[in-house]
Amino acid sequence: MRILVVEDDALLATGLTSALTRAGHAIEHASTGKHADLLLIEQKFDLVVLDVGLPDIDGFEVLRRMRQRRSSTSVLVLTARDAVEDRVHGLDIGADDYLTKPFSVTEFEARVRALLRRAAAPVARWSIAGLTIDLAAKRVRIGEQQVYLTPREWGLLELFLAHPGHVLSKDQIAESLYSFDEQLSANAIEVHVSRLRGKIEAAGVYIRTVRGFGYLWDGGDE
Amino acid sequence: MSEGSGRVTSIRSRLLRFLIGSLLLMVSGAALVTYWVALESANNAYDRSLLEPAFDIADNIQIDAAGVHLELEEKALEALVYDQVDRVIFQVRSPEGTIIGGVSDLPPPPDFSSQNIFVNTDYRGQKFRIAVLRASNGYLVQVGETLNKRNRLLREILVAELVPTLLIAMAAIALAWFGVARALIPLGHLRSELLSRGPRDLRQLKDSAAPVEIVPVINAFNGLLDQLHDANTRQQRFLANAAHQLRTPLAGLQTHLELLLRRELSTEVRNELQQMHGATVRASRLANQLLALAKAESAAEEWHNLEIVDLMTVADAAARSWAPKALAQQIDLGFVLKRAVIPGDPLLLPELLDNLIDNALRYTPRGGVVTVSTGCVGDVPYLSVDDSGPGIPPAERRRVRERFYRIAGTSGDGSGLGLAIVQEVVDRHDGDLDISTSIELGGACVQATFRRIHANAGRISGLAGESGSHP
Repeated sequence: MRILVVEDDALLATGLTSALTRAGHAIEHASTGKHADLLLIEQKFDLVVLDVGLPDIDGFEVLRRMRQRRSSTSVLVLTARDAVEDRVHGLDIGADDYLTKPFSVTEFEARVRALLRRAAAPVARWSIAGLTIDLAAKRVRIGEQQVYLTPREWGLLELFLAHPGHVLSKDQIAESLYSFDEQLSANAIEVHVSRLRGKIEAAGVYIRTVRGFGYLWDGGDE
Repeated sequence: MSEGSGRVTSIRSRLLRFLIGSLLLMVSGAALVTYWVALESANNAYDRSLLEPAFDIADNIQIDAAGVHLELEEKALEALVYDQVDRVIFQVRSPEGTIIGGVSDLPPPPDFSSQNIFVNTDYRGQKFRIAVLRASNGYLVQVGETLNKRNRLLREILVAELVPTLLIAMAAIALAWFGVARALIPLGHLRSELLSRGPRDLRQLKDSAAPVEIVPVINAFNGLLDQLHDANTRQQRFLANAAHQLRTPLAGLQTHLELLLRRELSTEVRNELQQMHGATVRASRLANQLLALAKAESAAEEWHNLEIVDLMTVADAAARSWAPKALAQQIDLGFVLKRAVIPGDPLLLPELLDNLIDNALRYTPRGGVVTVSTGCVGDVPYLSVDDSGPGIPPAERRRVRERFYRIAGTSGDGSGLGLAIVQEVVDRHDGDLDISTSIELGGACVQATFRRIHANAGRISGLAGESGSHP
């Protein structure tokens, strides 16, 4: 995948570049907003890692211009500023995710993976740990073993796959699965999650419980 | 305003001292003048009445064949000069100095040229006022009386004079006392206004209700407040900028260290890199906390910006960001969330909860439990974090809120700023922070209670609509 890293701090830029290169991506680097803007006009990227604080035009402006050009490239915003303020602003003008500096490489890689996966949709086939998922055929296998899921369990699985590394509250789950029929109760969600968990755990994929709140998809090291 | 050292000066006592001094001077001056005038006229009247018997006696001097003698008998003459109050004496002396009648031992008067004079003299140990009359034939008639009448009059004048004057003076002092108190009421208002302020409330004092005399003081004080405010703002901006600027290089450092740690390394190198990585993470956290502190402090001056915040929503965001970390540490991070709507700062409250959860995760061993709760007890909204860690000893519960204070002997890599930030944010919300032992989990329980929304806060919108309800 082609990724543009827009970061003016040389140390951080080389760090991010080297992490992404090792993951097998092709990296382009820009250290100013204007340079980034030019590259984005001329070339096509699958993902932009965008620092907010740039020496000339700031990251938000770069993002705004991108969205004005109707570019749908995923953008991961990096911010050294106040997390809440930047998040609100960044998400308002079309960022897909954000990270507050400093962050761990592992977390950065996870976010990048998630965004690329989303960008690369529709993916017909995913492999996570020992789990193989064929979205089109709605089939799940552990190794060669077929796993049968109910429609609700499928809904849950798709929801978790769309938000890897993110905690999903029971409300969120209830809202997302609402379209099936009536609103799900918290207890019903618990039952469905625990059934799904039981079916896929053997593959080394876990659904962790955040007590009193929701669930977290834990695909191991993927 | 320190009262302990140096001389205490009071406007009231200075004014009164001045007033009493000048009043006493005026009163005594006026009394002296009146006294002197009254005495003069009284003396004149008494002197005239003393002269009358002298004329009578002079008329009685007979010069005939028997020589010079007094026509009336001595007894009659004494009756003539008799007085109920004073002892009266007389003496008649010839031009040659022979004593013709009356007391013999009254000394001769000083030389004088006019027809009569009045002198004060001592006679047999008593003070006398003597009227001396020179008759046409050259004889001297002296009639004297003791001063009883005069002294009595003097006393009467003094009393009649001084008592009302003193009363007026006292009334004036009393009026001044209360007048000063009344005049100083605006100062009292100013004082209570200043006393009611927190250390970071640097709003200007209003001078609309103050008397003209105090306005310059208020203006000068406002000038000082402005300078203080500017200095504060500069300091906070510096702190915030410094924290911002630190974040990026720290992120670079952390990234490189983590990438290095993924390589094949000797144990020795790995250990050193891991220590460096730990230090980098701590430095990052410190930068974040300094920024949070700067933010909380600057928020103190903008407390009108409170919005309606549901603590449950704050905890919701915290759950999303902290749950992965807790899972990685094998700590069961749980939530018991009920609605708790308060007037709050939506940027500061996450800092509060982040620091509480961070602390709990930091001091709770693997396999432990941390529970975040929000809700209302009665109508008091609260947010609390309980853990199954070692807890905070009662003796330390006050000091742990101080900046950079760390309990002696604790491991962990805390900066000692976490609870200071929490306390700061709670203070900004006029809330209370309570540290106790968790009843359910046995470790620390840190609970912040807040003010509830007042019924008249209807202007703040968005309360009814958003309610992300959790079971």
